[in-house]
Amino acid sequence: MHPRSSKLFALMALSAAGWMSLHGPARTQPADVHPIPQSLRVEHDETIERLTMLAKRAGPVGAEARAALVVFKRHAAREQEFILPPLTLLPLLADGKVTPDMAWAVTMADRVKAEREQIFEEHTQVTDVLNALVVAATRAHDKDAAEFAEAAAADSLNDIELLEPTVLLIGDYLRARLPAAH
Amino acid sequence: MSGLFTRALVAVTLASVLSGAAYAADPAAGKSVFQSTCGICHSAQPGANKIGPTLFGVVGRKTGSVPGYTYSPQNLAANLTWDPATLDKYLEAPRATIPGTKMTYAGLKDPAKRADLIAYLETLK
Repeated sequence: MHPRSSKLFALMALSAAGWMSLHGPARTQPADVHPIPQSLRVEHDETIERLTMLAKRAGPVGAEARAALVVFKRHAAREQEFILPPLTLLPLLADGKVTPDMAWAVTMADRVKAEREQIFEEHTQVTDVLNALVVAATRAHDKDAAEFAEAAAADSLNDIELLEPTVLLIGDYLRARLPAAH
Repeated sequence: MSGLFTRALVAVTLASVLSGAAYAADPAAGKSVFQSTCGICHSAQPGANKIGPTLFGVVGRKTGSVPGYTYSPQNLAANLTWDPATLDKYLEAPRATIPGTKMTYAGLKDPAKRADLIAYLETLK
């Protein structure tokens, strides 16, 4: 590696490390990817925060929350990587604006289409672990935890009913409106 | 003659085993299965839809027929009646039975648990 390139790389690494130390590992959004809508980021962060708190408990509720946390984090990371970012374009698309720099969303939408069954399977895993959390919370007479898990499962259905089909529509719409070069 | 007797004995034994298996389905165990696998999305109360439709009265009703629940187009078009046989098939592999169903459940692979669950669902009327 060229010395100047090495210095540049080191500077970038330091910058990234500084960013991480400021924002901490609790954030679910890496800095170098397309963002997701803020409302969904808040929803993900709140779910992870709540599961993290429940996971610290002893007993069955804590054990089920720890299992749910692993599954939910894995799924949320994939959602943030390529499923949800195209949704950030919706306000612009609704205003009739389509620009060539939106082409990245077509690639993501194509991946969602290709992996749709796998994504659905992940939702079944999320529902399963949340169901187990509801059962444990109900047995522990923890109504708040049970209601939280039920609400989180409803969010999963929201993804299937609304968000993922919308991403596919965004991909089809952009493909039709963008220059043929894409 | 002895061959005929043997075949008859086998047939009677098989029928006995099969009917015994049917009678062995345990609604109480099925309720437990319901709670641990279905309860987050489905209620057992009439008119109480959650993420999924209420399962009160599910046995004997048509797919996509619960008032006040928004079904997937695939479920609406399935045109099945939920009897023990169709439920058994669906619960084993929902997306294979109704491709495109939005029920986020991979399937209950244990036949005994499915039988227990269906026996419990039959009590919901």
